[in-house]
Amino acid sequence: MSSELVTLTIDDRQVSVPKGTGLVEAAQVARVEIPVFCYEPRLGPPVGACRMCLVEIEGAPKLQAGCTLTAGEGMVVRSAATSAKAAEGQQATLEFILVNHPLDCPVCDKGGECPLQDLTFRYGPGNTRMAFPKLTFDKPIPVSPLIALDRERCILCYRCTRFSDEVAEDGQLVARNRGARTEIATFEDEPYRSPFSGNVVELCPVGALTSSLYRFDARPWDIQNVPTVCTACPVGCNVSATIREGKVRRILSRNHPEVDRGWLCDKGRFTYPHLRANDRITAPLRRIPRGLSEVSWDEALDSAEEMLREAEGAVVTALSGSETMEIAYGLGRLLRAGLGANSAVLPEATSDTLGAFRLPLSAIAEAELVVVVGDDPVVERAPIVDLWLKEARRRGAELVVCSPSGSVQTPPGEAARLCQSLAQQRNPLGRRLRAAERVVLVWSGPGGGGGARVAELAHALGFEEKPGCGAFHLPATPNGRGVALAWSAAGDKDEANPQPIKVLVVSGDEAAADPSVRALAEDSERVIAITMFHQLVAGWADLVLPATACLERDGTSMNLEGRVQRLRRAVPPPCPDELAWISKLGDRLGVDIPAHASRVFADLAEHVFRDLGLDDIGDRAPLPGRKPFEAPAPGTASATAAPPAAEEHFVGALHLQRYRPLFSGPAVERIRELEFQRPPFEVELARRDAERRRIATGDRVLVRSNGTSVELRARVNRKLVEGVARIAEEHAADLHPSVEVVKA
Amino acid sequence: MPSTELFLAGTEDHDLRRLSEYREVGGYAALEKARAMEPQAVMGEITGATLRGRGGAGFPMGRKASLLAKNTGKPTYLVVNADESEPGAFKDRDVMGLTPHRLLEGCLITAHGIESTDVFIYIRGEYLHEYDVLVAALEEARTAALLGDVTIVIHRGAGAYICGEETGLLESLEGSRGQPRPRPPFPPVDGLYGAPTQINNVSTIALVPKILELGAGEFAKIGVPSAPGTAVFSLSGNVARPGNYERPLGTTLRELIYDLGGGVADGRELKAIIPGGSSVPVLTPDEIDTPMDYDSIQAAGSFFGSAAIMVIDDRVCMVQLALRAAQFYMHESCGKCTPCRVGTRWLVQLLTKIEVGEAERRDLDLLDDVCDKMLGKSLCALGDFAVYPVSSYLRKYRSEFEAHLGGAGCPLAGISPIEGIFAPVSQHAGHAEVAHVV
Amino acid sequence: MSTPFYNRVQKLRKQYPQSRSAVLPALRLAQEEHGGWLPSEALREVADALDETPAYVVSIASFYDMLNLEPVGRHLVEVCTNLSCALAGAQSVLDGFAGELGVRPGGTTEDGVVTLRAIECAGGCGHAPVVIVDGAYREPVQAKDVSAIVEELRAFD
Ligand SMILES: Cc1cc2nc3c(=O)[nH]c(=O)nc-3n(C[C@H](O)[C@H](O)[C@H](O)COP(=O)(O)O)c2cc1C
Ligand code: SF4
Ligand code: FES
Repeated sequence: MSSELVTLTIDDRQVSVPKGTGLVEAAQVARVEIPVFCYEPRLGPPVGACRMCLVEIEGAPKLQAGCTLTAGEGMVVRSAATSAKAAEGQQATLEFILVNHPLDCPVCDKGGECPLQDLTFRYGPGNTRMAFPKLTFDKPIPVSPLIALDRERCILCYRCTRFSDEVAEDGQLVARNRGARTEIATFEDEPYRSPFSGNVVELCPVGALTSSLYRFDARPWDIQNVPTVCTACPVGCNVSATIREGKVRRILSRNHPEVDRGWLCDKGRFTYPHLRANDRITAPLRRIPRGLSEVSWDEALDSAEEMLREAEGAVVTALSGSETMEIAYGLGRLLRAGLGANSAVLPEATSDTLGAFRLPLSAIAEAELVVVVGDDPVVERAPIVDLWLKEARRRGAELVVCSPSGSVQTPPGEAARLCQSLAQQRNPLGRRLRAAERVVLVWSGPGGGGGARVAELAHALGFEEKPGCGAFHLPATPNGRGVALAWSAAGDKDEANPQPIKVLVVSGDEAAADPSVRALAEDSERVIAITMFHQLVAGWADLVLPATACLERDGTSMNLEGRVQRLRRAVPPPCPDELAWISKLGDRLGVDIPAHASRVFADLAEHVFRDLGLDDIGDRAPLPGRKPFEAPAPGTASATAAPPAAEEHFVGALHLQRYRPLFSGPAVERIRELEFQRPPFEVELARRDAERRRIATGDRVLVRSNGTSVELRARVNRKLVEGVARIAEEHAADLHPSVEVVKA
Repeated sequence: MPSTELFLAGTEDHDLRRLSEYREVGGYAALEKARAMEPQAVMGEITGATLRGRGGAGFPMGRKASLLAKNTGKPTYLVVNADESEPGAFKDRDVMGLTPHRLLEGCLITAHGIESTDVFIYIRGEYLHEYDVLVAALEEARTAALLGDVTIVIHRGAGAYICGEETGLLESLEGSRGQPRPRPPFPPVDGLYGAPTQINNVSTIALVPKILELGAGEFAKIGVPSAPGTAVFSLSGNVARPGNYERPLGTTLRELIYDLGGGVADGRELKAIIPGGSSVPVLTPDEIDTPMDYDSIQAAGSFFGSAAIMVIDDRVCMVQLALRAAQFYMHESCGKCTPCRVGTRWLVQLLTKIEVGEAERRDLDLLDDVCDKMLGKSLCALGDFAVYPVSSYLRKYRSEFEAHLGGAGCPLAGISPIEGIFAPVSQHAGHAEVAHVV
Repeated sequence: MSTPFYNRVQKLRKQYPQSRSAVLPALRLAQEEHGGWLPSEALREVADALDETPAYVVSIASFYDMLNLEPVGRHLVEVCTNLSCALAGAQSVLDGFAGELGVRPGGTTEDGVVTLRAIECAGGCGHAPVVIVDGAYREPVQAKDVSAIVEELRAFD
């Protein structure tokens, strides 16, 4: 869109809008409504299917679909408000739409928040002249365990299929058949399996696609929506939590145009029922000879105080990357200031250097060239970033993905070396990176010094001088950076690695589920765990304090862009929140820690954000400006590269590439409806590797390394680089980095 | 009348499927001539000849080419519409089956004129024989080094009338469901693969060599000034000698039906004329002196369409005819836009009710109104095509519709030749569903 | 998955600037290889060869009349019943086939030999009624010709 303006007349009102503005938007400026169903600019070019938007254009003999037009200089437009012809067209369309639409609004989930209901109320015919049987279809069918489809209600606006085809690009939800028999479907009985499937529920303008988790749960007039932020991954999509009777009923997008553009992934949308998981811990637990037993809060705090004091500073804290900054800061103050216990296991390596190349995620869509490096598919780490990349490509950007199954097949562990070579003058791709004005670099995978390596590359390419060029690192945890920042702000003493560890404090489910934390627990005398779920800590914690979920918390979180966003408590937790008891323990240890997130934030902000207040963050947080570049501590390429260890290298060995799937983790594991989204029990092999072993897709194979073996189903992935066996973390068990794959 | 034989010239005494024989009648000389000319000069001839598209709408080919976007950095495509599926039409089939080289030569000249090197011919899937003929001819032309740097891909459809609509065709060719796109943007700006695209009907392109051969001036002397040249008229229905006849535009329906077609079959009486394929409004016998050219036929309230003339005799029930036509459009509606998808089914339901004698007068009014509500509202013209037969039969033969009402049933029961006809209503699931016209 | 099929589709893809354009030729090929229709495996093979999803492939296949998503007989008899053919007596031709074969239009004989179908205009209106037998046009076919055609099909089976 240019800055040039065009002036047009809509219903006798003159408006000037930027050249290229859609007519529907131009009408909005003139405060004229052109009603729409199929039109949704986020789904690509308009399709003009529903014909709800018919308008009269001076000079055109026929009514035109307003949604397919752009505002033109001197255009004279009449909507139904001032044109009898347009009004007739609109009524005709509504009558046709309603010909086959059932009148089951009272029992429809969409009732009360349904565009079709609203438009019918305003413009529709009062009665039906259709006396023949309506088209009928099988009653609601599951298109997946998450989504139900009621074909009778479908008005064939093709929003859902366009989302699948043109936004998620998953090609799973399609239109089948032709003409009156057209219907929305997946392939045969297969579920709509896509990380983004839930968006179609929000897109559907009628009650044809509904969430199975929400069906019949609430009516729009007895719910409240609480604006908060998703913390299922480092993107931090803006969401609304729908609350009824003190329970979260669904999660909807709240569209932050720079962050998520109104899309959510299914992990963020559908994991809320974990708040009510069967093994949710609501009271403190203490170890007794046979397991754990509930104790009162006073007893729990007594124990905690006693354990911590007895440790005499030999305390290590393992933090999760999904804590709020306030919790991390509160814990930090408690343990560091209160006990001098400065040792922490942080959720992941982080680096602030990327602040010099900061861009909003939405800038990816405008890029001309995007280079992704790292071993993990973007979608597994930061799903919405994957959608931004796809949009960039649709808009004509060149997308170069250097990964084991990317467009440039790269063996695992090569990303750092790749960055180094791209930084060199003679590298051809590097030269183009230097020359272009709008380039985005993305690091998607382990290693990389929390973004330091990609920041060095951006620096070498001169991105500081180019406002259209930027770099992102996709962390493994939602708020690892914020947690690290908060922890470091809470004290200024250096770490002292206590040996032995007298008390290990494990904060949060992620830390509790982390095998390396578990290993540390083995070496610790006592463990205090703060978690939501019983199963996670049953075997090894001495004292368990119940944790809250993000939907139950006030606080702030920093996403992968470096944007500080605000979480709001959508529902009260079933137990006192972390800050409440941290504050009490603080009193006992002589540190003043406020019990309210806003006050903790004020304290923290004074240390780290200078003049950022909660009000500045607001409901749609702004992105802070760029910071000057500071060279990070140099990394070594070999530290991240992991060539198979020589002694383990037997003939025909493949390098095991483990990846952490998006649909994993304690919350996901607790949602039955999400089970189908979890990674199948399979090992992916390159075509040549499979052929050499006479393995075909579907074969049962044994994946073996010294002493251990796992039986999995093989899948031949034509895109995968040779020499790699790719297995989801949760199925890779104890396999070593070098494995042998044979037919079972 | 050799001068009025343009498409089919030479087919009488030559097997023009063979390159050698096509050369004997002067084939590919026009191409040579064109290639010696500047592209603009070639298009100048076509524009000068006022060659109007033979696919239905009659849009001048030269004017369409002038709309092709320039300097886009993308290739320019030429797409030939050989999807011919309009009921009554079979002209392109003969052009391809009898003189394939004429089409190929037209493609090559046009490609030169619009500076394109990529040609796609989208031929309906059922035309297997014509496909084979075209493929063989293309092979001959390639071997004879006639293609130059032009690639011609012959792409077969798979049974969908809507793929004859130009944007539906492009979608289908791109590997999508053949559902029309909103226009604008028009194909000359944003066509195949988003690139500037010239789309023309087979017969339009097949006329191009003759224009180059005769020169625009000579060509323009044939036919009528507003629409020079000839057309292949397809005669069918209750006519004594059905078949394809090439005649200049402006030839009257009477000449075509009586002089060439031998009049109504079996000496019966003429009841109705459908002049341009099933999708155009019907004409009554008193309109038989209408000349067949775009403007005259439009002045008479119908359309030139695909020049497919169907002759209807006095035994035929117009309600049955309307119903069978409506079934076709319901079956072929792509399902993308609401008025067409829903309206075509509603029309079939209403017409069925009328045909079986269960309708009342208000059902006729409703039928009329549904037609009104559909007309001009759909995404492409198929929605209008579905309306034209129904609304025009209803208007011009209303008394026959009325005679069905109130339990009376069909007045031509036992006489009408199309009574009880089966029509496919579903294109999926093994095509099992058929409708029975009672 | 048969490697030749995959390779043949790769060749088809190369004809076009974008690979999706090869979906109709690929589906036609798959249909030929699977006895005239497209069972699930055929759809999956096409999807695999084009790097597309099976859902995409079925959305295309179900749009077109000539692609069959259910089994058909070894021979396919298609009778055009559109206006011109209807006016020329297609009804009695269709009835003739139905009677001779003992199936309703849309059905397949019990022995799986012949599928009978009513179809829309085949573009043979000047030689009506049109019958298409295994892809080849027979024009015109009158009711009296029906039994000979059926016999021929049975003989060739
Ligand atoms: C429903 C529908 C079906 C059509 N079918 C055909 C067809 O089979 N062949 C054809 O040439 N044009 C057909 N057209 C017209 C094309 O859209 C287009 O106008 C034509 O191919 C342009 O070629 P021309 O300018 O050479 O006539 C159809 C249009 C519509 C709306
Ligand atoms: S299911 Fe909903 S979104 Fe999809 S086409 Fe139907 S009405 Fe539109
Ligand atoms: S909103 Fe314009 S056609 Fe649907």
